[in-house]
Order: sequence, then structure tokens, then C-alpha cells
Amino acid sequence: MKKIKVLKPVLVSNQQRALENRKVFDHMKSLVINIIASPGAGKTSFIKRTVKQFKNRYKVLVIEGDIKGQIDSKTISKLGVDVIQINTVTECHLDAFMAAQVLPKIKKRYDLILVENVGNLVCPAEFEIGEDYKLAILSTPEGDDKPLKYPLLFHLAKVVVINKVDLLPYLDFNTEKAKKGIRQDNPKAIIFDVSSKTGTGFAAVFRHLEKELDAKKKKNKG
Amino acid sequence: MHEFGVTKSLVELCNKEADKNKIKKVYKIHLKVGKFTGFSPDSIEFYFEHLKINTKCDTAEIVFEEIPIRIKCNDCGKQHNIEEPILLCPACGSNEIDLLSGREFYVASIEGE
Repeated sequence: MKKIKVLKPVLVSNQQRALENRKVFDHMKSLVINIIASPGAGKTSFIKRTVKQFKNRYKVLVIEGDIKGQIDSKTISKLGVDVIQINTVTECHLDAFMAAQVLPKIKKRYDLILVENVGNLVCPAEFEIGEDYKLAILSTPEGDDKPLKYPLLFHLAKVVVINKVDLLPYLDFNTEKAKKGIRQDNPKAIIFDVSSKTGTGFAAVFRHLEKELDAKKKKNKG
Repeated sequence: MHEFGVTKSLVELCNKEADKNKIKKVYKIHLKVGKFTGFSPDSIEFYFEHLKINTKCDTAEIVFEEIPIRIKCNDCGKQHNIEEPILLCPACGSNEIDLLSGREFYVASIEGE
């Protein structure tokens, strides 16, 4: 009987692949945002607003991750930007290998790549795809306790968007409690309150994205 | 949920390490799992029973070793193990926290012959 020291992470191959993907994205000077939220939290609506804001001044690509179907890609392509669909079939998240498979389909460079992950607060958090950062969306009907119930995603997300604030008068959602929870997971989280329906709060989101796009460009110059 | 893919990677990694070290049969896999990961040992075991068949890990069992969530407070300098991933210093309440451990997910060693 032999005992062999291994000391290797199980997801080493995913992490390695994610690093390689990121090199490609960095080379293209693309800001890549991995958008993660529950089904129905408003990922697609958030992307639609963002695409409309930036499509005339920046080259924008949307990568749609869904278990099945092309509903979201059809919605997004109507806005006149390029969309690539990934169907994960049995997997509940996107991983670095799925992202790597779409790389050959990216025929030109984009300033901004928005990746809509599979609707799920748990699994997508564990798998890097080569993104610059994760953006989590929490919608008010889900409840203000979610940051404490799904801490990993909120811990890893650089940006957290609280969506559907237009519904606050009808819900028991306590925004301060939700933010306290987010800050307990991640003191440095950048939090925005928005409504994708009315557009409330998006000016601040866009200012942030504008800064990030600028920083990415400069980072690659240096 | 996502443990199927993860367990597949685990079996691949252990078979590769067994090959490298001329082990024909793996009996034990020592797997370190941080408490601040989303991986459930029960689900990993469930998939492992299927995925190990006809591999060098066929007769292997997984020994799970949990790694606590350990934080360091940058304000008061104290270190604590915490049960829940609430990143606040239990001593002074500060949220200037560094995560020292809890996100690990790796194979520490394998045993076999």
C-alpha cells in the first residue's frame, strides 16, 4: 500500500482553462462580465438595458447560457448586437470549457462581453469562465435573506444589483437588511438599486460600467 | 446539483495520479473540502459510486476532511474560525476581513497499490 501526496485542486482543469480564456479576452481588450442570478431575477432585462445604452459607442457581445432553447438570444439579437448561445443541456452552470468552445465563434473584437449564466444562485458561483468579474442580481420578490442563504455568490461578486425596486411598495423586502447581508458576505461589494422595468438606478450602473470599460482598455495598454 | 461534473473531474484527477505513481488500485482518496464551498459530500459520494466503475478508483472510498472557515480581522488583528460564512469579526465587528481558509477543494492524497 502506497500513500501518494497529491495536493491538487479538483477543479484545476477548469481554473486553468478559465485563465487561458481570460488571456484571450485580455488580448482582445474585452471586459467580460459573468452575470449570475436566480431564474426570473431579471438577467435578460438587465442585459437589454445595458446593451441599449452601450451598443452605439462600444462593440458589445452577449453570450447566453441556458439549459435549453434560444429564447433569450432571440430577444437580445433583436437589439442589433451579436449573440452566441450556449446550451448546457444537463449542467446547471457555465464552465470554462463551455466558454472555450465559443471562443472560435468570436470573429471580431468586442469592448464588452456580457455573459448570462444559467439561472441559479449556487452552481455558477463555483465555476470561473475567464471573466473579469461576477455581477450578481438579486430581485426584490426573492426576499432580503438571500445574501445570507447563498453567501458564496455574494462573496465572489464584485457588483451586486438589487433589481425590481419598483415592486418595493408591494413587498416585505427590506433593502437595508439585504444590503447588510451582502456586506456580511462581501464588505467590498459595489451595490446598485435598480428597476429594469422603469430604468430607475441605471445611470449609476452605466457610470460604473463606463469606468470599468475604460480601466480595461488602460490595463491592456500597460 | 453541480457535483456530477465535479466528481467526474475528481475521478479523472485520481486516475491520472494513480497512473503517474504506478498504482493499479486506489483504496482511499483524501479529499479536503472547505466549508465555504458549495460542494456537498453526500452528492459527491452518490455520483462517485457510479463514476468510479471500471476505473482505478473502482474500489476506492472518499475520506472527506472538512476545512473550517478561518478569517483574519485587519482592524483588531485577531483570527477566528467561524461556523457561517458571515465575514464580520466576532471580536470587534469589523468587516475588514481576510478569508484565510474555507474555499479549498483539493485532493490531499490517494492510497493504493
